[in-house]
Amino acid sequence: MLKWLIAFMEAASVASPAAEAPASSLAALPLLVKGLLVTLMGLLGVFLVLTLLFATIRLMQKLDTKESK
Amino acid sequence: MELVSIVKELFAGVLYLFSAAGLKALAMFAIAGVLIYLAIRKDYEPALLLPIGFGAILANLPPVIDAVTGTAAASVLGEHGFLSVLYQAGIANELFPILIFIGVGAMIDFSPLLKDPSMIFFGAAAQFGIFATFLLSLVLIPIVLPSAAGDESLILRLASAIGIIGAADGPTTLYVANYFNLKDYMAPISVAAYSYMSLVPVIQPPVIKALTTREERMIRMNYNEQRASRLSLILFPIIVTAVAGVIVPMSAPLVGSLMFGNLIRECGVLERLSKTAQNELANLVTILLGITIGGTMVAENFLRMDTLLIMALGLFAFVFDTAGGVLFAKCLNLFRKNKINPMVGAAGISAFPMSARVIQKLAKEEDPYNFILMQSISANVSGQLGSIVAGGMVITLVSLMLGGIW
Repeated sequence: MLKWLIAFMEAASVASPAAEAPASSLAALPLLVKGLLVTLMGLLGVFLVLTLLFATIRLMQKLDTKESK
Repeated sequence: MELVSIVKELFAGVLYLFSAAGLKALAMFAIAGVLIYLAIRKDYEPALLLPIGFGAILANLPPVIDAVTGTAAASVLGEHGFLSVLYQAGIANELFPILIFIGVGAMIDFSPLLKDPSMIFFGAAAQFGIFATFLLSLVLIPIVLPSAAGDESLILRLASAIGIIGAADGPTTLYVANYFNLKDYMAPISVAAYSYMSLVPVIQPPVIKALTTREERMIRMNYNEQRASRLSLILFPIIVTAVAGVIVPMSAPLVGSLMFGNLIRECGVLERLSKTAQNELANLVTILLGITIGGTMVAENFLRMDTLLIMALGLFAFVFDTAGGVLFAKCLNLFRKNKINPMVGAAGISAFPMSARVIQKLAKEEDPYNFILMQSISANVSGQLGSIVAGGMVITLVSLMLGGIW
């Protein structure tokens, strides 16, 4: 298990330089396309985080209801 | 002749006011006077507008020559001027917005949101205006500011900070503007953000009335009186920090400080710290933040075409954030049996608690027995979360678009 975990972390650290390639290709996009991407991903991100918080609050409400019963 | 030169030196400040630069300084005194008037006479966020106005006066006083560097600047803005020291100590390193958020977090009660979690989506919907303004700014900045036309990096960064104005969240706006190193534009951006925050009672009602009918404004909503459990109130700030910090790491400083303040409040064992955060800390940092922001309103940085563009786009962002929340509520009503009062959507901006009070006042105007304050507060506090997450997303995404160099 420990060997597997170490191998996974090594693979992740080797993979990280590849993440720089997409960043430079994003930088080459036209300005308005960048703007649209920021808009879409930004709104998606905000809704995603708040949806997760919504789910968390509902879970806490259910736990509270169980406890009070 | 020596006497003449001595007199000239003694009255250099007075003579300065008759120069071209001096006339600009007088214009800034007038603008500062308007801010102070709005603060004192109209009671529009005096805790912010008065220090900002006074700081603007200080920043535009006649310059003195620094004996060491030889540069000319108002004495409060010289290398050792107290406003420069405060700027470096609290704005340039983003410390003041973080400290303010600790105080704000200690003031927020998330109970209404925990009892009616569906209100959280208004906090997301009300951020539409940020991104709509961001897109519009990308188009307008190259047209209105020819000097910025070829500089894609500047356009993206400036558009980000202008868009965030719409969230009506001063600390987040300052944080984003400072992160993107927009020092030359800090004055109009921060003045726009804080001015529009204080003008919520003036800006929001016409937008809401334009988008809703009287029948919609009279919709009543049920409210559960029972307080959320203490465990929920304690877990909530910890979970929010973890979730937002993992998904949007750039929002961690703002979310973390807001939730830290809230945890101090809700844990029940730090009454003294909670009171200190809500009162002394919040008031002290507000004083220093306000006067330091005012210190950035130097005439040569403020009286430009950029300022008009930023103020206009900031207003657009604010209006569209309000409209986004209202229209989202109206969309939801198409599918819901228990209708939501669409005005509650407008409370999804971050101006807490003023926006919620404005919505309640509008509701009472239509129906004196309609109480939607708690629902509006739910949307308002979620708007605080939404604006911070939006700020973090903008920083992350725009940094990626700039090739990850920020």
